[in-house]
Amino acid sequence: MKLIKEPGSARSGFRDWYLQRLSAVVLAVLLPLSFVVLILVYTGHLDQFGLLDIVDNFVSRLLHTILIIALIVHAYMGLKVMIEDYVPVIGWRVSLIGGMLVLMSGFGIWWLAIIWAWGG
Amino acid sequence: MNDPGRLTRRSLSPRLSVYRWQPAMIASLAHRVSGLILVLFVPLYLWILHGMTGSTDDFERMQQWLHSGLGRLSLWFVGVALFYHFCNGLRFLSIDAGWCESRMMMRLSARVVIAMAGVAALLLAVLLLG
Ligand code: HEM
Repeated sequence: MKLIKEPGSARSGFRDWYLQRLSAVVLAVLLPLSFVVLILVYTGHLDQFGLLDIVDNFVSRLLHTILIIALIVHAYMGLKVMIEDYVPVIGWRVSLIGGMLVLMSGFGIWWLAIIWAWGG
Repeated sequence: MNDPGRLTRRSLSPRLSVYRWQPAMIASLAHRVSGLILVLFVPLYLWILHGMTGSTDDFERMQQWLHSGLGRLSLWFVGVALFYHFCNGLRFLSIDAGWCESRMMMRLSARVVIAMAGVAALLLAVLLLG
């Protein structure tokens, strides 16, 4: 049992579990909205001006920021669980999770930069 | 095989073959698969968003790509994965909150979620092909 528990304690497990559920609730509210907007653009019901009207204002940026943070927390916690399930070698596991953390943080920062750099 | 003195490096999850296939299990597995699909497509979301909010030309190019075969296929995959993951995610959350915890309810709700995703997959295909 000791080996299994090595990096990470039972306490951090609960925090992860909880964060994944909290972020899931945020995503459940915000993500379907984004997908509907995307489909409306696809079908031509929304042109570029319409789209910019929706996304290019303070409230949207704030919601978008919350969405991205929730997305990254959720995806990180989710993939972490999957890596822990399927990768038994501790060295690999730690490197994969670490690499994922770096990649995702970079991605999140880049994304936020794009959102807040929109003109207007 | 499980010699107590030896350190065996194996996955903590049992192999798939030990399970009997049941709705609740298929629902869990599909949740995992759809979650993975959603993560793998994350760079695509950023790229689409970037294109759609760029210059008018960027927007036009994005529209063209979305309407190409690959674009439609991606939209379909993401849409179905999202719909399924969303529905089953809410199902998991309610189970975690202590609702519908009986074995029968869990099986029934698994069937409902899978059926709903099937219908959504068809509808989205019709929309994207039309
Ligand atoms: C639409 C809103 C969403 C809801 C309600 C939701 C809900 C959930 C819940 C409750 C879990 C925990 C399942 C478990 O413990 O077995 C979970 C796992 C997961 N989610 Fe989501 N999720 C959503 C969106 C997303 C998105 C957008 C992604 C990808 C970027 C994602 C990726 C994952 C992954 C990779 C897992 C781990 C799967 C596993 O451990 O089997 N989810 N989700």
